[in-house]
Amino acid sequence: MSGKFNAFLQNLDKLDRRIIFLIIGLAVLFPLLVPLNLPVEPTGLTRDAFETIHNLPDDATVLISFEYGPSTKPEIHPMAVSVLRHFFARGYKVVVMCLWPDGLFMAREALDEVLNDERFRDLEYGVDYVNLGYRPGNEAVIKGITKSFAANFTVDSKQTDISEIPLMRDIRTVADVDFIFSLSAGYPGAIEWVLYASDPLQIPISSGNASIQVNQLLPYVKSGQMKGVVAGMPGAAEYEALMVEYGLWNTRGEAAKSMDAQSIAHLVIVLFIILGNIAYYAKRKTQKKY
Amino acid sequence: MYNDVFGAWVAVFLTLAIFSYLYKDNPFYKLAEHVYVGVSAAHWATIAFWNQVRPNLFGRLWPHADPETLTGFNVFWYKLYKGLNLISDTVFPENGIPGNQEQSFMYLIALILGIFMLLRLFPSIGWISRWSLAYVVGMAAGLRLYGYLSSDVLSQIQGTILPLWTGNLGESINNIVLIVGVVSGLFYFFFSVEHKGVFGKISRVGIYFLMITFGASFGFAVMGRISLLIGRLKDLIEFSGKEYGYATFVLLIIMVVTILVTSRKDKEVAE
Repeated sequence: MSGKFNAFLQNLDKLDRRIIFLIIGLAVLFPLLVPLNLPVEPTGLTRDAFETIHNLPDDATVLISFEYGPSTKPEIHPMAVSVLRHFFARGYKVVVMCLWPDGLFMAREALDEVLNDERFRDLEYGVDYVNLGYRPGNEAVIKGITKSFAANFTVDSKQTDISEIPLMRDIRTVADVDFIFSLSAGYPGAIEWVLYASDPLQIPISSGNASIQVNQLLPYVKSGQMKGVVAGMPGAAEYEALMVEYGLWNTRGEAAKSMDAQSIAHLVIVLFIILGNIAYYAKRKTQKKY
Repeated sequence: MYNDVFGAWVAVFLTLAIFSYLYKDNPFYKLAEHVYVGVSAAHWATIAFWNQVRPNLFGRLWPHADPETLTGFNVFWYKLYKGLNLISDTVFPENGIPGNQEQSFMYLIALILGIFMLLRLFPSIGWISRWSLAYVVGMAAGLRLYGYLSSDVLSQIQGTILPLWTGNLGESINNIVLIVGVVSGLFYFFFSVEHKGVFGKISRVGIYFLMITFGASFGFAVMGRISLLIGRLKDLIEFSGKEYGYATFVLLIIMVVTILVTSRKDKEVAE
């Protein structure tokens, strides 16, 4: 038996990589078809972001910026929906803007999904929330709105003159908002918000990110420049769990449903790494022997 | 409804076509790849023109104005615009670009620099485009310098000056790890001294910290990629239903059979 296992290990590096692709694909597919309902435990990073938002004054005005597109939608869209629900459930005034052209479509989709719920049907566009849409210019737009919103956003996403929007009458610059939340998948994104708006004007900021960007943001969290981070799909699932914990929502969201597949896939990858290392050492031992 | 079904079939086809590369390079993948490149380029060009060039450049040079209110230089200036209006009434509608932009002739500089950039298409005078590039580089460097200096350098140094003992064991360990990591990492990137002796040992610790950082980054990258796979598979599951005409199953069977048949034929030709 040990001889067979040893032979298997010796030949592991000759394994067709397509078999690995297939196993990973099946490991992701099965939990999507048969949900396992694995528990989701919120981490400190997500809890910090959630509690910072939750503890804002009741009459707070918040700015949420969409900096992601369809390619990172599976990760960031669930957190966009949860954060918007959180804002509206707390009664905050919400200013939506986009630094990515695709962000406008994502923002519209997220707003439609959230406002479709009967709890938020009474919210009035222009009074309770506004979608300013996309403006090109990356960090120059952020820098611009530290001086004037009206100079950078003459009209909103519905082509309404910004001076005719009641919500924007008291918001002349980004310094007039109480909190910034950046839904970020890269450049321009959360880092630019910290550099050009949050740090210079001392506006509290948090971010929901694609997994790949999280490592770049952790130093800002550690130094206190950013109030927690909602990190990738697990972060989104944790945020959904916190919404349930605080009684603001009552069902598992899309991210939590996807976490079963994520967890199983990670488990399979870890097993592959362990197996690959055992095979490597077994082969090296054999080569040394001869 | 028909639009949704058609969209679902296109989405399923493109997803499966891209996934088919995992088996081997094939015409489906090539088609999807070329469609992606073409559509992305067109999408970005369109978005850039309608959201950036038209409102922010032409809109500030020729904002919508009542012809009867025009005075002085603007009378001549809007006569030039009429020329543009003759080229395209959609892009340059009568009496100026709609919106509420204020007129600013400063944007003529941007227009000229933009035209310079396009001169790259003519090799003999393409060198003029370097002036535009110089402006972009200078502006970006100036804009970013302050931000990075303040937030990435000063605030991060401030964030590293931490007490080694805070009264809380866990927090103290975190602080010690952070300080050791930063200092040893800086030692590793100091190349003016040979990395041996005590210096070499500290820089080696820095390497370990860097390796852990790269490992964490790789872990996050894997997590992100799996999330994207989950997103695509969710769509494939959704579009496999009757309301979408079993798009996933039908296209999967067609593509698998086609790829296997062409693979076999290729093998026979090679033999």
